[in-house]
Amino acid sequence: MPALGSADFGVRTFYAASHPNDKCGPNGLPLTPNSIKILGRFQYLSALSHPKLCQYIDISKTKHECMIVISEHHRTCLREKIKIENSLSETQIANIGFQILDGLTYLHEKKVVHRNLSLDNILIDKQGNIKLSEYGLYYMTDYGADVSFPIGLPRYMPPEVLCSGPVKVDEDTGHCVQPTSGPKADVWTFGVILLELILGKEIWAGQGIEEVLMKIIELIKSDMSALDHLCQDPILGEKLKGFSKEMWDVLRLCLAVSSSKRASSAELKQHPLFRYVREFTVAHKKEFSMFTTELRCADLELPTYEQTIANEFSDDHLSQRSMQEVYYLWRLAGGDLDSVLKKAGMSKTRPPVHLLPCYGILAGDVFGQDRDYAELLNNTVITLSQEQLRFRLRDIPSTAFYPLLEDELKSPEPQQLPTSPSYGEMTSSATLPLVIREKDIEYQFHRIILYERLLSAYPFKRPYIWREARIDVPPLVRANVWAALLEVEGDVEGLYTSIDKETPTATDRQIEVDIPRCHQYHELLSSPTAHVKFKRVLKAWVLSNPQYVYWQGLDSLCAPFLALSFNNEAVAFACMNAFISKYLHKFFMRDNSAVIQEYLAVFSHLIAFHDPELSNHLEGIGFIPDLYAIPWFLTMYAHVFPLHKIVHLWDTLLLGNSSFPLCIGVSILQQLRDRLLSFGFNECILLFSDMPEIDIERCVQDSIKFFCSTPKSASYRQHARPLAQKNSTERPNISYYSRDYHELPQTDLSMEPMSIEELKSEKCPRISAEDLIELGELAGSASSRSPTKKRQNSKPMILILDVRHHEDFKRGTLQGSINIPFQTAFSPEGDLNPCPAVHVLNSRRNQVIVVVGNRGRNAANFANELVRLGYSRVCVLHKGIDVFRTTDLITLPPADL
Amino acid sequence: MPHTIEKDFSYTFHTKTTNSTLNVPITVPMHNDSKEFVARLTQVHNLPCFVHQDLESKLDGFVSKETSQLYDKNANEAVEKVRNGEIDVNDLVKQWLPAYCQELKMYAKPHQLSNDERFAEVYHKLIHSPALETLLNLEHEYSLGVERVTKERDRDLQHLQDKQRADMDEALKSVGSVYKDEDINLLAQKQFENTQIVEGKWTSELRTLHEQQKVEYREWVFQVHEDSQGKAPLPPYVQRLRSLSSVLPDADVEERQAHVSRLEESFTIHLGAQMKTTHNLRLLCTDVLDLCRHKPHTIGGLVIPQPQRLQTAMSLYSNNLCGLVLLADNRLNSYTGIKQKFAQICDSSTDFHFPTLDHQFQVIEEQLPKAADVKAKKKGSSDEVDQLSLHSSTSSSSDEKEKVGEKKLHSGDFYLTKHSNLSEVHVVFHVVTDDNLRTSDITSRHPVILSIRNIIKLCFRYDIHTLTVPLLLTHEMSEEMTISWCMKRAELMFKCVKGFMIEMATYSSQESRTIQFLVPRGLSEELFHQISNMIPTIFRLSNPLVVKSN
Repeated sequence: MPALGSADFGVRTFYAASHPNDKCGPNGLPLTPNSIKILGRFQYLSALSHPKLCQYIDISKTKHECMIVISEHHRTCLREKIKIENSLSETQIANIGFQILDGLTYLHEKKVVHRNLSLDNILIDKQGNIKLSEYGLYYMTDYGADVSFPIGLPRYMPPEVLCSGPVKVDEDTGHCVQPTSGPKADVWTFGVILLELILGKEIWAGQGIEEVLMKIIELIKSDMSALDHLCQDPILGEKLKGFSKEMWDVLRLCLAVSSSKRASSAELKQHPLFRYVREFTVAHKKEFSMFTTELRCADLELPTYEQTIANEFSDDHLSQRSMQEVYYLWRLAGGDLDSVLKKAGMSKTRPPVHLLPCYGILAGDVFGQDRDYAELLNNTVITLSQEQLRFRLRDIPSTAFYPLLEDELKSPEPQQLPTSPSYGEMTSSATLPLVIREKDIEYQFHRIILYERLLSAYPFKRPYIWREARIDVPPLVRANVWAALLEVEGDVEGLYTSIDKETPTATDRQIEVDIPRCHQYHELLSSPTAHVKFKRVLKAWVLSNPQYVYWQGLDSLCAPFLALSFNNEAVAFACMNAFISKYLHKFFMRDNSAVIQEYLAVFSHLIAFHDPELSNHLEGIGFIPDLYAIPWFLTMYAHVFPLHKIVHLWDTLLLGNSSFPLCIGVSILQQLRDRLLSFGFNECILLFSDMPEIDIERCVQDSIKFFCSTPKSASYRQHARPLAQKNSTERPNISYYSRDYHELPQTDLSMEPMSIEELKSEKCPRISAEDLIELGELAGSASSRSPTKKRQNSKPMILILDVRHHEDFKRGTLQGSINIPFQTAFSPEGDLNPCPAVHVLNSRRNQVIVVVGNRGRNAANFANELVRLGYSRVCVLHKGIDVFRTTDLITLPPADL
Repeated sequence: MPHTIEKDFSYTFHTKTTNSTLNVPITVPMHNDSKEFVARLTQVHNLPCFVHQDLESKLDGFVSKETSQLYDKNANEAVEKVRNGEIDVNDLVKQWLPAYCQELKMYAKPHQLSNDERFAEVYHKLIHSPALETLLNLEHEYSLGVERVTKERDRDLQHLQDKQRADMDEALKSVGSVYKDEDINLLAQKQFENTQIVEGKWTSELRTLHEQQKVEYREWVFQVHEDSQGKAPLPPYVQRLRSLSSVLPDADVEERQAHVSRLEESFTIHLGAQMKTTHNLRLLCTDVLDLCRHKPHTIGGLVIPQPQRLQTAMSLYSNNLCGLVLLADNRLNSYTGIKQKFAQICDSSTDFHFPTLDHQFQVIEEQLPKAADVKAKKKGSSDEVDQLSLHSSTSSSSDEKEKVGEKKLHSGDFYLTKHSNLSEVHVVFHVVTDDNLRTSDITSRHPVILSIRNIIKLCFRYDIHTLTVPLLLTHEMSEEMTISWCMKRAELMFKCVKGFMIEMATYSSQESRTIQFLVPRGLSEELFHQISNMIPTIFRLSNPLVVKSN
């Protein structure tokens, strides 16, 4: 989006037409409210950007179909200009005209018809440039079908619009019956505006609608050309005499009753009348966008000395920020549209008790209701005051607007990550709860600027983005940050374009059924525009992954990405693709049971590992993960939570490896622990049939905690994504945990695939010898890569429990292990027989207990018993003690005391 | 005049050896990017990559040319129709006029506030000012005045009735001796006429009193408002009001709590699968009219206004209204049963804001023909298929029936009255019911239940945030209402209301609503608890807050 510059924010409201009672669309579902349709169509407009257009910024919908549109606004309009200057010279008019044409041509290229051009919404900015505003009303209202008022004022009405009559809406499709206006409708209006500029006042001023319409009809019916007919008016004729032939020609080309004889805006732009203006126009500079193959420097012109000086000495750094960003900050600074509208007297004023109908029939129609006059179209624009925002940001030093991103790789510890430049004063804020941070304007300001700079240096600055994302992700830049975290790169648009998303396929029907049920509480995602995009992205994914099929749940996975990158399907698609291949590898195979079974088995292991009591209870009542957790994992919780919670969850999930989602599952169970423990089978089913409220921030914190206290090999899955071929050295080795286990080189000491039956028969996860060496610091503490062990001299987090025969133990074991032989360990009642080793076991309960045995099943059975007895964090050494034979880690235990 | 048109696009490219031509039909205007279309063409027809750019630019040119021609054609056709007189110019202008005059503020006539609305504005301001207490006290004074008259009327009528009974008894004793049967009839008729005269006298007296009070009250409100507009710091009326209000003695705790004796239980629930909205449910056991009736509230022997009055008055013109569903029969009057009782309550004090009940009924009646038209139309369109197969004679007879019953209310219809003088309610939905509500096997498609859906929808549309619904769809206990009958009905209603709430909350804001489920007085306490235990199984209660000792 362009920089704010000297612009204001303008607010307009209008009411969408409400549907007749209880009508259903062709698909049998109730009709989408017009306000939602408008909301969806608006998004395209906010992606348009041109120096001659007022940027659209945001739209929102309040009660009762009232739409609030926020756009760039300037305080002077053309009407005021001609009022002040009285009569304009031909050069001035040509200059203004060319700029209007410039904007119109861009709109027409983008398939948007203005239809609403008037002296009041052609604005002039502080530098004297023309800015068209309100050009999107016709487009966003589906060519006038979604509102009950006509678009455009009578005196500017092109002949074909007038002749087609007011918009009639087709009851079945909801679109308008008449053909929609083409771009040449704007050219007629442009002609009328030129006339008004020449006249120095409004044409047909002071005449009623009826008279004005009759005048236009006269033009239509007349055999003369419209211009000649108009020139019969003495004042206009007199005024026009002073103008050149070229001006006459342009007017004639605009004011042709027959559309085929009218010139197009692009043709008019090339007209000789504008040749001088044309020479001095500068090409429109493209703005930065993250994934594009277009050259950013294509139209680059180095700034002149004057421009640099002007920029350098401007104190208003805020005006250099993009409009979207400033608007976002404006809202954080306490800007509230409702109260602004209320102050301006534009919100609904009549009390509802006066509007109520007095009679209703069974079919749902009501009678006797009164209309609220506030629903009429009000063309007033309210300017939002930036005072409060600027006041809030007054103490921010200018340097904060341009933070330095020095490369700190030269610092003494090359392994360490660069510290965040916003770290210093922001560290205190960074510890506050996320909801507070997201509302803190200063904090957000620093974060956004920092991210924005990092993102424009993507992928070069990816390590930094990664680093910052560990603190938090500001909502404004989330779409791009996620793309960066998912390592989306390259010509995403080209790739997306090349996929055929139109040709019908076998999955279309299922996709069409699923979309209208997917996150439909979200206003944007429930719009028809979103449904079309949904379908395209999903189809693109299915087509580009021929090894996979469409499973229900894919729609939920798509939703967060689409909601974030609504105007950039290609990025949404690329993110989704990267996300699925990272976290849901093989999940969407036609037969995915093996993958899911393994996933669920590992999940049960983790429950037993972290919460044996809960695990025992759930197993006791037969409430296994298969009954509730499949939708969790298949959609990475996108089906379970509302979008505003998913984004926070995924902010963290994207940083973890593919096992992190398992820990989220454990932490959800943790939050419901008390209830689950008191519930029987039926109540548990009922509880999860409609997921209760979950405190998502706590859930995220808990899952990080669980994640960090789980040995990596414990969540090993054979179906996880294998080692990626590409060399990803540019990503820093931030921590032991953010890497996937599967991406590390395999050795004899690593985990190996196990059969499902084996996995299911064991309650506890297995730990690899590698992990044991590392976490138990058997090879000395220096090589530790684990972030969980903060202090170098702290005790190892592992307690090794050797369950072999006492004789075997005597002959050699791992350092620091204790011995409880399986044969003699348990009493007939199933309790542990007391002995010194059991005492040690009980006294070190918060450590990870690694059960070490021979190759047989003794170790696993022993571990199962420990879980039954409520010991937490129990795991079994994979392949038993034998795996250490090749190493020199087996030592003789100290003699018995 | 089509919105889109299909055109044939042909593209030729040369290689060293061959000339290839590609022909494809293209719909203009094109919805998607032409780039995408080119990619599709390349894929399907296996085109060489070097034609890519050329194809794209050719296609772009073709599409824009054809699109422009389509627009031109449509535009010219429209203009031509007017030029050759196929469309009448005056008609056209007549169509445009209302489009502008009724929809654009700049052309519309400025909205004139009616007297009622002006009063509403002033009242709303005052009720949220220090004048509030006085306002209420004044209203209360007036209502005491009405009460006096009603009491007198009742006494008078009672007296008359007693006297007439005595006369009649006397007369009956001497039937055959002194009086003949005709004389008795004559007496009865005379007595009846007398009663009517007396009743009529009282009714008109009451009406005059209402009118008079309303005029006085409104004048007073406007006066106070003007006073308060004038002077800046402490307008004299405040003092006047203060002194007035301080006369009232403070309430004793006992007195305050004396009347709270209804059985009720509240729940906070979450609705929605992913996005949850919070709402409140309340189950209460009381007489439906208790929500309307002002209970005598005495403090230190003085009758003073109830605290509920305050809330109801303050929210009357706000966006937070309270509604009540009252079951009624299909006659629009208030002669019998609960309708009569309700009318009595309405008349027991003056409604300063809305017309009298009778007057509101008249307005409703005016709407009935309109509604009948819509009904007939709907019926016609849905029965169209059936009608075709039927003989014409039967269909015409049904039409006639429809005409006769033009003004009839049907089961499932509802009419709505507004009140400012009821205790906890602003809006009353009178739902038309029929006798089959008593049977135990009604379904979710029953007209009354559908009507409740329409009402809930209306509540969402018009900011009625609290709605009271008779849970068992009856206001009184009766014989057939066994425990299983009640449980079944309660379950049906809970589930339906839940469904309606979820349906209506789609697309609308996240505001929370309160639904009060009313069960008739006389329901056993045990059954009440059974019903209340059902709520957690049907609705998802919000997370219980578990307090832990450490």
